[in-house]
Amino acid sequence: MAGLELLSDQGYRLDGRKATELRKVQARMGVFAQADGSAYLEQGNTKALAVVYGPHEMRGSRSRTLHDRAFINCQYSMATFSTAERKRRPHGDRKSAEMSLHLKQTFEAAVMTQLYPRSQIDIYVKILQSDGGNYSTCVNAATLAVIDAGIPMRDYVCACTVGFVDETPLADLCYAEESGGMSSLALALLPRGGQIALLQMDARLHQDHLETLIEAAMTACKGVSKVLDEVVRQHLQEVSVLTGE
Amino acid sequence: MSPMKLCVPGDKLCSVEDCIPGTGVYLRHGYIYSSLAGYVLRKNEGEELPVISVVRETEAQLLPDVGAIVTCKVTSINPRFAKVHILYVGSTPLKDRFRGTIRKEDVRATEKDKVETYKSFRPGDIVLAKVISLGDVQSNYLLTTAENELGVVVAHSEAGAQMVPISWCEMQCPRTHAKEFRKVARVQPEYLQA
Repeated sequence: MAGLELLSDQGYRLDGRKATELRKVQARMGVFAQADGSAYLEQGNTKALAVVYGPHEMRGSRSRTLHDRAFINCQYSMATFSTAERKRRPHGDRKSAEMSLHLKQTFEAAVMTQLYPRSQIDIYVKILQSDGGNYSTCVNAATLAVIDAGIPMRDYVCACTVGFVDETPLADLCYAEESGGMSSLALALLPRGGQIALLQMDARLHQDHLETLIEAAMTACKGVSKVLDEVVRQHLQEVSVLTGE
Repeated sequence: MSPMKLCVPGDKLCSVEDCIPGTGVYLRHGYIYSSLAGYVLRKNEGEELPVISVVRETEAQLLPDVGAIVTCKVTSINPRFAKVHILYVGSTPLKDRFRGTIRKEDVRATEKDKVETYKSFRPGDIVLAKVISLGDVQSNYLLTTAENELGVVVAHSEAGAQMVPISWCEMQCPRTHAKEFRKVARVQPEYLQA
């Protein structure tokens, strides 16, 4: 598309943000009473709902029981109205299966599963509106939901997608930027220790730029973690006021 | 009491030389970090160092652990074992039922081979049992009632009335005065309501 520059000469992106600026993150915890933990998170125009059940007895195939830790079962799905064109197959397609697997790997790194042997923790995430950064929004929403459920974790898990255009890393890509054909990288980080839970990239990038890109992703994730921290502390205060502590 | 401090997962609380880690925290490189979002609680338990733990208002799901006394409901019986649903761990109700098994040889401590499950439990009985094993891939939690204080606490007779225990192996229906066999728990006197 002619004239649609991902990064203008003055340093502004398609939606008017600067290169390292994140989209507005708004979140709420405890949105459902019946689930053990739930959270709703918006990152710009991408909206995700995460629900956590557990730890409970192993359901489904008992053969997948782990004798020394909990089994984490993740399911990612998109609402049919989440994309510009009505989504034909909201779940069960390959993309959803891959996302579910990535979410599972991310949370296995952060949740302290050794405390719950032979049990199962379910994490269900649904994208209500998709505008780029689906994986990151899911991870952030699921982190809040797991904290809401009271399942012990080593640290928050914050995720962000970064892209690379004109030798500059762009933090928190939106859909137009993602489909603009640039190399993008998704990173899930445990911010306090700086440990990477998951790093995913399927684009071509010169090796020299990798270091910069990862650095930019880590900075962006730490920015997200500050926002999530605020949300958690505020929710704790609200709950304690209600229970009269 | 000073207001309790809020903490979130990953917050460094103190060094392992100042406190002993309790629940809701974990150890890493000689420091104690929080693993839950809640309030920090420091308690002096009589040892040299205070115990530090993180608590939430709503208790997180508790799992039955080996040696825990659990309250369960019998769902089916079989000449070899009885299958139960675990409802309470200690005095905490579980949000979700866990399944357990009481094998024939774990019903009582003496004369294990002469046990008849039909004369020890019936479906619908509420039983106090102890967890002996988490089980393996195929089986559920393994429970035992082989102690005086463990066994059936509430049972209904075939007529439908709640039965009264008369000995360690018999209960009587107050309506029909019929006696039925159960492995009865000897409830401590202080837990009985007059």
